[in-house]
Amino acid sequence: MTPKARELETLALAMFAAVPLYFTQAILAPPLIAFHVVMLGIAARVAMGKGPELIPAAVMRAFAVAYMFFYVIDAAAISRNAIAASTHLILFIAAYQPIESVRTRNQSQRLLTTSLLFLASIATATHILILPFVVAFTFLMFRQLMHISHDESVRSIDYTAARELPAGRAAAFYLCGTTLVGMLLFPLLPRVRNPLLPGVGGGLTNASTGLSESIDFSQPRSSTGDAGVVTRVWMSQDAIPFFTPLRLRGALYDRFGKNEWRQGRREFLPMEVRNGAATIARPSGFTRRAIIQQRFIVGTRLFLPVGTYEVAGLPQVVEAPTRDIFMTWQTRGDLVNYDVRIAREIRPLRQRPVAVSNYPVTPPVALMARQIAGDATTADQAARRIEAHLATKFTYVADPATIGRRSMTVDDFLLNERRGHCEYFAAGMVALLTSLNIPARIVGGFYGGQLNPLTGYFVIRRQDAHAWVEVWTGDSWETFDPTPVSLRPGNTQQGLLRVYASALGDSITYFWDRYILTFGLGDQVALAIELITRTRSAMERLRSGAAASMREVLSIRFLMIVTALIALGFLAVWLMHARRPTSALLTEHLRRLGINVSDAMTMEEALARLRIENPDAADALQPLIAMYEEERFSNRHDASLASAIRRALRELRA
Amino acid sequence: MPADTFTFNGVVRLTRVGTGFVLFTIVIGFAAINTGNNSLYIGLTFMLGALLLSGIASKGGLKHLVIEFSSVDEAWAGRAAEGRLRIANDSRIWNVRDVIVVAQELAHPVFVPVVPRRGKVDVDVQFLFAHRGRVELRQVDLYTRYPFGFFLKKRRMRISGEVIVFPRLLEGDGSRDRFAPVEGELSSANRIGHGTDVHSFRDYVRGDSLRHVYWKKSASLGRWIMKQTELDAGRAVHVVVDPYKPRDVADDEFEQMVSEAATFIHDSIAQGVDVVLTMPRISLRSSAGDASRALFRALALLEASREPVEQTLERGALLFSVRRIDDAKSA
Repeated sequence: MTPKARELETLALAMFAAVPLYFTQAILAPPLIAFHVVMLGIAARVAMGKGPELIPAAVMRAFAVAYMFFYVIDAAAISRNAIAASTHLILFIAAYQPIESVRTRNQSQRLLTTSLLFLASIATATHILILPFVVAFTFLMFRQLMHISHDESVRSIDYTAARELPAGRAAAFYLCGTTLVGMLLFPLLPRVRNPLLPGVGGGLTNASTGLSESIDFSQPRSSTGDAGVVTRVWMSQDAIPFFTPLRLRGALYDRFGKNEWRQGRREFLPMEVRNGAATIARPSGFTRRAIIQQRFIVGTRLFLPVGTYEVAGLPQVVEAPTRDIFMTWQTRGDLVNYDVRIAREIRPLRQRPVAVSNYPVTPPVALMARQIAGDATTADQAARRIEAHLATKFTYVADPATIGRRSMTVDDFLLNERRGHCEYFAAGMVALLTSLNIPARIVGGFYGGQLNPLTGYFVIRRQDAHAWVEVWTGDSWETFDPTPVSLRPGNTQQGLLRVYASALGDSITYFWDRYILTFGLGDQVALAIELITRTRSAMERLRSGAAASMREVLSIRFLMIVTALIALGFLAVWLMHARRPTSALLTEHLRRLGINVSDAMTMEEALARLRIENPDAADALQPLIAMYEEERFSNRHDASLASAIRRALRELRA
Repeated sequence: MPADTFTFNGVVRLTRVGTGFVLFTIVIGFAAINTGNNSLYIGLTFMLGALLLSGIASKGGLKHLVIEFSSVDEAWAGRAAEGRLRIANDSRIWNVRDVIVVAQELAHPVFVPVVPRRGKVDVDVQFLFAHRGRVELRQVDLYTRYPFGFFLKKRRMRISGEVIVFPRLLEGDGSRDRFAPVEGELSSANRIGHGTDVHSFRDYVRGDSLRHVYWKKSASLGRWIMKQTELDAGRAVHVVVDPYKPRDVADDEFEQMVSEAATFIHDSIAQGVDVVLTMPRISLRSSAGDASRALFRALALLEASREPVEQTLERGALLFSVRRIDDAKSA
């Protein structure tokens, strides 16, 4: 590799190290773009055979002095964040160093700066794509380190004829080795909290969500096409027919005002945790267990499947911020794993007063509700009729803009337009039930999901966000969904190949999320427990098997064979001991005399040291060392010398 | 010597780059533990892996190197001698690159770009010996920073080899002129005959033809005496080196004498003159090819004698000695 190519690679490495920052948004884009523009300019100059001084070095030095003051201003007033300001500073240094390299040799400092950029990039990244980034970066870093090591070696002896080091294959070799070592080390590194500064850092909060704080019909609303995974739910095969399609509850909208449905707030109510599980409802009928991996997208709110009555595996479960919605406490990471138990029907733990929503029902809506409900006598009957009516007589439109209306009221939806998306259907049903004095509320959450045929779990994505209705039937809230079934999220048809490709990708992401990103102290403890348990059971099996075998084979003949084998073993050990090389014997003898012969020490050096500490012993050993030297380094092989050394050593020991 | 800048006692030393890397690893480790961020743990494991592998590679690489003294051309004291070392890598895994070989007998450290796994390389080196005589090569130090330059790893190795270092040749023309063969000694043009007339007698020298043995005199003296013809005598210079070193003569003076003799012989041979070198219990004659080496080898191994040694000084022979002139006459 020519010096020009190497310089270009160094510049490319620095630019590459900063790329993830665009995606993690740890800093704003303008400084990043400025950095890459400057670095590309420098790279272009280098590629054309010019020096890297895109900006004169004197000007850059002046900038560097000025930046010391700017850093404080940046941290205090512009970024208002020390980490972001520090990242800006590193970007500046990374751009400054190639220009400064004309004057001083700073290759290793440049690599250090690039490593800091790499640190900033990976510290804020959670996507699996960070893994190939780390691998590629490590490969290029190894190449650069090998070149620096080579240069240092050559320079240390003023060697001039050295060729450039071919580092590509070697870097790939060491990358493979490092990856293997890394894979072994990753689960073993201690995941303990820092006792001095607990919780300084934490998981990243996400900017967007499928669930909004309120449903404001005055604003244009449309569903998101984001395929980001929100939750994975695994349940046994026998549970799937009874608990699918999945509905994960995330928000309850039960207060209306100014054409907007809002969530009614409540105080935090900690749920009692017994034996690691928090009971949140009373089950009824068929129950099963499900395992959930969830990404926090609205604070630390839990998206529990409809029918959940018990949550296990979380340190604490709190009913908040609204009634019948739950959250947990987790200061680190944006992923959480827990178990739930679900039942076909659940009832509240405690009876609470349930009120009809405050939607201002107009006479036309009330008339419509009465017409649809007809002679229904129970809330359940009325709700079923309204649900069926909306699902069959109304039209689903994903984006109201397509019908020429960016927004409309619920009354408009029910009485005039009769077209809308799931929130209109849910709000319309609640409005109709309110007119009949039946308590009802809108539920925001996720619906359906996709079964991963490779792993057997359901994947629920942001694009599966949905709204439906819960109706109070006298002793429990019952779920109704007026949105036409075929038009609910997650019901699009895909080809088999696409399904499997998607499943494979999702399986990899799941592995990444579950076993890499969220791997923690609990997993380490579980791993250790499993290891101990397996070892114990193996030992137990071995012991019981051995006891049975002993009874069978404990005979004179068997004992004779064992005795013979032991004798042979001893004989082999004795022979190995007796046939040890003379160097080992001398080393052992010297060690007895208090001289440790290291790899880098010759016998003569050891003898010289012994002479200082124990002249008599050195005099006795000197002829043996001379014999050893002759035996070891002369051209002719003389077995008698080795024998003589062994004999003499035995005499010395005696 | 540049090697002084990096040689050290011990086995391993952390380099400047290595120190920076270790500090950076500690920073990442602290950040990972502090935040519980598994992305940082991934970076940390890669860095620890690189450190670990670097240590194993440099140790494992050097551990499997075997170095042998292969050969050396004519070695003269004070002059660089071209030689060769053979380095073999027994490892099945590691290629070892950027190895620096340092030894007391080497003129300067030697850089070996690569020793492939299960491979051998022959390295041309320059030896520099200060003194004539038999020199035993005992040990070399191998250094490497490979692969990443975090550690400078050292391994001291025993090697076995022996080099006969010829005496130092005098450089100045002045000292050479003193002993330059005179015109008459080099030419036989003023001699009568064609190598058949008897010029003188001398002791047998290994390499002499038995046809020239003077049997009559040999029988009377009890040793072989050779008959020299005029032509033979004219083409040969007889050099006698006296190993006696009186107590009051310094070692350097004796060595200077040996160097002068060696320089004279070297120059004579270079001018196509045969040289007969006589020392106690040995008499050697230079002829074509490697035979001249034997002369220098004898001079290289010449040891000073505490006692005067009797030697026959024939007519026309050139004596090299550190004795005082009076002592020499009496001897």
